[in-house]
Amino acid sequence: MAAEEPQQPQPEPLAGSDADGVNCLAYDEAIMAQQDRIQQEIAVQNPLVSERLELAELYKEYAEDDHVYQEKIKDLLQKYSYIRKTRPDGNCFYRAFGFAHLEALLEDGQELQRFKEVSARSKEELVAQGFTEFTIEDFHNTLMELIERVERRVPLPELLAAFNEPATSDYLVVYLRLLTSGCLQRHRRFFEQFLEGGRSIKEFCQQEVEPMCKESDHIHIIALARALHVSILVEYMDRGEGGATNPHVFPEGSQPRVCLLYRPGHYDILYK
Amino acid sequence: MEARYNLKSPAVKRLMKEAAELKDPTDHYHAQPLEDNLFEWHFTVRGPPDSDFDGGIYHGRIVLPPEYPMKPPSIILLTANGRFEVGKKICLSISGHHPETWQPSWSIRTALLAIIGFMPTKGEGAIGSLDYTPEERRALAKKSQDFCCEMCGTSMKTALLPLTSGSVSSQADKEAKELARQISFKAEVNSSRRSDAGPSNTSGLNHSAASREPQQDGAARAFPDPASATSEAQSSSAAAAQEHPPAVSSSSTSLSPRQRRAQQQSQRRAPASADFNRAQQPRGNTNHTGSTVLIVLLTFALAALIFRRICLANEYVFEL
Repeated sequence: MAAEEPQQPQPEPLAGSDADGVNCLAYDEAIMAQQDRIQQEIAVQNPLVSERLELAELYKEYAEDDHVYQEKIKDLLQKYSYIRKTRPDGNCFYRAFGFAHLEALLEDGQELQRFKEVSARSKEELVAQGFTEFTIEDFHNTLMELIERVERRVPLPELLAAFNEPATSDYLVVYLRLLTSGCLQRHRRFFEQFLEGGRSIKEFCQQEVEPMCKESDHIHIIALARALHVSILVEYMDRGEGGATNPHVFPEGSQPRVCLLYRPGHYDILYK
Repeated sequence: MEARYNLKSPAVKRLMKEAAELKDPTDHYHAQPLEDNLFEWHFTVRGPPDSDFDGGIYHGRIVLPPEYPMKPPSIILLTANGRFEVGKKICLSISGHHPETWQPSWSIRTALLAIIGFMPTKGEGAIGSLDYTPEERRALAKKSQDFCCEMCGTSMKTALLPLTSGSVSSQADKEAKELARQISFKAEVNSSRRSDAGPSNTSGLNHSAASREPQQDGAARAFPDPASATSEAQSSSAAAAQEHPPAVSSSSTSLSPRQRRAQQQSQRRAPASADFNRAQQPRGNTNHTGSTVLIVLLTFALAALIFRRICLANEYVFEL
């Protein structure tokens, strides 16, 4: 056997490069399996959208000697009283926005009509932009059905149940993602200047907006607020100095309709 | 079909729509669900005109997950093409240079165009990918037109509309190329297959007489009968568990049959010991079930020969 070694030139490098390929795939699989496990764990522990909770509950999430957060929660409590949590699955911004706005519309018939018109129109705009009608219409229908339920003044628990049903809830998230993508692409010139790494808006939408579970940043919020003409306020709470959360309104200077709490990587709904 | 499915299911609703949308063949692609299963489709695509796959018409299966369109479809090619392994599930990749993932607003049509656009790209040794020579791919492209699918009864000669040089088809070509830049396909890896990679990898050199048959079997299997590929796809996951180390096997799967034969012939000519020659042969997509069957068959054949020999000898004695 030993004598054969020198006459075996090719298997070595081949095996090496293939092992890399296999490792790469093994990585892929391992990452996907782990992602699945994490998602499942998160799903068991968190409803897609929770009941309304006392904001003071937040104190419990941080250690008592975690002064930065304890102080910021104290500050937040002066402005808000309740919180509604969303599942941290990367879709939380869209889900939080969708629920918070529709819930508010139960009490605001005028805004409901305006929102309904904008939403109804939005599909044609997307189709005109090149989205395939038959692939997006199921998602659009889900939004319209939810709006109609709100119009019929369904009790709040029913709306909450709809948002906790993955088929409805995720379809709404897909449509809100499509609206965000559509708006980013319509105002390509404006948004492109915020992108890093030389990506085009189209690429950014394909990579960071349209696929499920991709987290949202300022640029997504600006785009969705613009697409639906709904002003969004986000209270940013992180480990930074200052003793208070940083509120941002999108678009700037408008009267916010939806209030969200942002903690690194996650959005929840805030109530006065 | 309508009566058998829950029309409230988003996947069913969507697939019904897609079936209607893709009802008529175009000159580039056609796909329809099987009569008895809305979640399994058969498709036919035309090889991209400016490539080695020009003139090829390729057939395959699409398997839709129950969560479709929230989760992507898997694609299995049934026609030998020299780019994707036949009978192997290929799905969207999350790794490498293509960070994009499946989007719910994509459709089966998107997947078909992506496959067309992806064919001329390099396999680069990925599992499930093949890097045949241009000549071999062209030969396979020609041969592909004679294929007729036993399962759905589609004949490649009539599966697609004849190619027109109109704007619609060039639009489809453009879309296909665009998609290929965004989407990457990879084969599904069986986890049990990975786990046995380590130990058998090191023992690769020590296989001598026992691995003779499986090696030849591997070379033969590189050109599987397209009709039997469907059942192979079903059993492949089970067989994969027993397969030879992927590190070695995938290196040989990216060789075309002709390259492999050439390699084997050159090895046969080498004046070394017979055992060594065998050890050096590439170890193809072999599996132990296949080799066991072969060994048993050969043993039977040998026994039959010996038996006959004895009979003949006896007869001779009797006649005397």
